[in-house]
Amino acid sequence: MSKAKAGLLQGTLDMLILKALFLGPLHGYGVGQRIAQISGGELKIEEGSLYPGLYRLERRGWIESEWDVSENNQRAKFYKLTRAGRKQLIVEEQNWERLASATMKALRAN
Amino acid sequence: MSRVKPTVDFIHAWRNPDDIADEVEAELRFHVQMRTNSNIEQGMTPEEARLAATQSFGDFDQVKVSCCEIKRGFPFDLKPLRMGVYIAIACLAGGISLWAVNVPHHNLFSVLWQLIAIAVLMRSFLIGRKRNNPHID
Repeated sequence: MSKAKAGLLQGTLDMLILKALFLGPLHGYGVGQRIAQISGGELKIEEGSLYPGLYRLERRGWIESEWDVSENNQRAKFYKLTRAGRKQLIVEEQNWERLASATMKALRAN
Repeated sequence: MSRVKPTVDFIHAWRNPDDIADEVEAELRFHVQMRTNSNIEQGMTPEEARLAATQSFGDFDQVKVSCCEIKRGFPFDLKPLRMGVYIAIACLAGGISLWAVNVPHHNLFSVLWQLIAIAVLMRSFLIGRKRNNPHID
């Protein structure tokens, strides 16, 4: 898959953010880096679109944030997963697996 | 309990819109700064690094506006609340209809009351039905 063409399906960004934060609290920049890292560099999130995604998830109560000091001693807003967010991640993963398997079945049909 | 903080944030966002805008801007600027630092580490000059970071971020002001709007957004699903309002209006109109039916129809005023109450009842029923199923014409 070409990196440039690896666009995201609608709703996938939320799941990826939840997954990135499942591994530990991060600031927004770190979330983007972690998504790139766990996808082996295949998924590159458009940086600006990450923040409305983070704010939406916080509004739904799936993540929460607090200001802290970053690794380079600057003030940064760190996000972490809530209990509701963990449950939501499980639901999203199951939905995604169902969708992916159904799509594969359709593509392999003769 | 996970709804408490979004509700507090929602109230805070409405009471202090400037604080929220400043907070969002600080967060986005931090991102651009981190990207700039990363670009410098990869061998760009500070000017090139800054420019590349700004370009890869996208429309800074638009992202800021979007984030502020989400912060000020209502933290609950409005559909059940809207349904509740329609049910309350329908109940009220129904109550008035019952009352109007029991009023002796000696004068034009009581008949008028009855017609208005029935019209409101029908209207709230139709609006409620349409909102819950937008495919109904």
